[in-house]
Amino acid sequence: MSEGIAVGIDLGTSNSCVCIAEGDRPTVIPNEWGETVHASVVSFLEGGAVLVGNEAKRRMADDPRNTISSAKRIIGRYFFSEEVKRARERMPYEIVEAENHGVRIVVRDQLYAVPEISALVLKEMKELASTHLARPVTHAVITCPAYFNDNQRQATRDAARLAGLEVLRIINEPTAAALAYGYGRGLSQKVAVYDLGGGTFDISILELGDDVFEVLSTAGDTYLGGDDYDDRIVDRLVREFRDSTGLDLTQNRWCLHRLKEAAERAKIELSQREEVEIFVPQLCKDPSGKVLDLRSRLTRREFAEMVLDLTQRTFKVCDEALQSARLTAKDIDAVVLVGGSTRMPAIQQAVAHYFGKAPLGNIDPDHVVAVGAAIHARELMGKGGGKTVLLDVTPLPLRVATVGGFAETILEKNTPVPIERSKIFTTSRDNQEKVRIEVLQGESSLASECESLGAFEFSGFRKAGRGEVEIEVVFEIDTNGIVNVTARDRDTGQQASTTIHLSSGLTAEEIEQKASRIQSTPLARRQAG
Amino acid sequence: MDAAFRIEVETLARILDQLDYFQVLELEPDATPAQIKAAYHRKSRVFHPDRFLQVAGAELRAQILAIHKRITEAYTVLREEERRRAYAAAVTGPERERHLRWTVQEGEGPGPEEVGTTEKGRKLYGAALLDLEAGRLDAAERNLKMALVFEPGNPHYARKAEEVAALRKASLQAGNLSST
Repeated sequence: MSEGIAVGIDLGTSNSCVCIAEGDRPTVIPNEWGETVHASVVSFLEGGAVLVGNEAKRRMADDPRNTISSAKRIIGRYFFSEEVKRARERMPYEIVEAENHGVRIVVRDQLYAVPEISALVLKEMKELASTHLARPVTHAVITCPAYFNDNQRQATRDAARLAGLEVLRIINEPTAAALAYGYGRGLSQKVAVYDLGGGTFDISILELGDDVFEVLSTAGDTYLGGDDYDDRIVDRLVREFRDSTGLDLTQNRWCLHRLKEAAERAKIELSQREEVEIFVPQLCKDPSGKVLDLRSRLTRREFAEMVLDLTQRTFKVCDEALQSARLTAKDIDAVVLVGGSTRMPAIQQAVAHYFGKAPLGNIDPDHVVAVGAAIHARELMGKGGGKTVLLDVTPLPLRVATVGGFAETILEKNTPVPIERSKIFTTSRDNQEKVRIEVLQGESSLASECESLGAFEFSGFRKAGRGEVEIEVVFEIDTNGIVNVTARDRDTGQQASTTIHLSSGLTAEEIEQKASRIQSTPLARRQAG
Repeated sequence: MDAAFRIEVETLARILDQLDYFQVLELEPDATPAQIKAAYHRKSRVFHPDRFLQVAGAELRAQILAIHKRITEAYTVLREEERRRAYAAAVTGPERERHLRWTVQEGEGPGPEEVGTTEKGRKLYGAALLDLEAGRLDAAERNLKMALVFEPGNPHYARKAEEVAALRKASLQAGNLSST
């Protein structure tokens, strides 16, 4: 049994949450202001300190260039990816390209890798927990969307290491939620976890048994989240404002940010009320210098119609997951909602309609993932009594690039992990010394449409005629969903040496350097008043 | 952890490469899907590496991980009815040793001999594969369409035709349409 203190951390696109499981009940840890949900926003102050959380979010309008939000949208992504392209258009902070198609964020003349931003959020969570418990937190289970690929998972793990946390596990958010729901209750059910976060949508189908929770399938859309719902309101406000004043608010990032804040607020209020008034005072000036306000109204019904297609998109993904699990919606015994966006009545009604039963009402969608992560952390520390075994799956097919631009499947999606599968390659030239394999993850059978996890070059084979050396390449996916690739001569068992090309991740040296920078960065506290 | 379990792990890890998947899961070759799933759960309860994260001894943990990975591997192969049958046949055959573990075969899936039911279809499919290798996408697509005329609904032909169509679309988008 390890003596460290372990927490569960839900590292979200918009919000994060930290929880500890000790004694009977898991405790969601509040900050000094009693808040349990913290914006995943990092504001770099003058003088070197950073402010993290809801107070940092308030600085987004005043200091947009030095206040970083939604880093999770681009974590583990290549510079040329669609997500990074989008972020560069929309985000007020500066994003530049680094070596090997990597991504850096420029803040106050310094370059930060994306995991460093997430590391600062994690550092804040760690600090909150350490202060609350009056003991230093050492270990953590960190959650990520089920649909995250290997690059994104590695980057998430790097972030935790940078924050000085020992990573017990990277666990899928829906799986954590299912654990929080079913742990220790002796259920025998098929459960759907519908997880609409700020930036991503995940659905997982699980079979909960007495002491084994098996994920049957998972599916997701990494381009769909609560933010897209806000954007629909923003679009409408922009249109209304243009119609009445002729001014285009999209040209000004500060204006857009104010609209976005107002839209999010309206969305949240619509969960409580049938109609909201939207008022953004002193939004901009017209050409004559007159200061203009924005006023609008929005009903729950109008909003539901505006976002109908977004909600329908989530059910396409649900269809896919159910089909993979060889189930239909009526086989599901319980539906767990995760993510603040699922508070929207339009979504709750649509989910109830789709599954033919109301989603469970007594679960806090903002806390449930962190609670599950904390329960798992306790188990992994050997303090949970070994009550539940989690059997998770890999969300995406693992492939290798082949001749003609194709991507051949090695491990299908929804294969349980940890697992390994090997493929035999034979040499195609006499005295061939090297074999190069590009490893991919993605749904498409075209290599160009998959995510590259890197090109592995194996060398050090014995010299022989073509076709005489059989090289066994072993592809392994571990319990974190992280991929390892090794190769050996099939006859001699000789392990090949490996070089990895094209990988945007951080090297061991970079992690060490950046860890000392992150750990020495002081966290600013919010002042009263 | 008791001594008996430690010995069980060490023994199992040592002979793992000689066991077939039925032996790994302690099942009969004609086990039903429900029995296969139950065995996977039962074995996972005993050998899941999560339960031993804090147990001293890196070697022992590595052995447990290897065993659990093999349990998962056995489950993923045996739970597919078609694979289970093919596997059961392979491990009772003369080349048992070579077939104990499911590996991905080299090449682009099954050849024409294995997938075609008519001679014309096989010929056209074979030609399409050659066209594909040479980058003649138009010709490959034509041949696959013809193959499907002779064998409507052949899933291998249909899948390949889809692949080629996707490839053509991609190459059209890239603006380097190959000539035929």
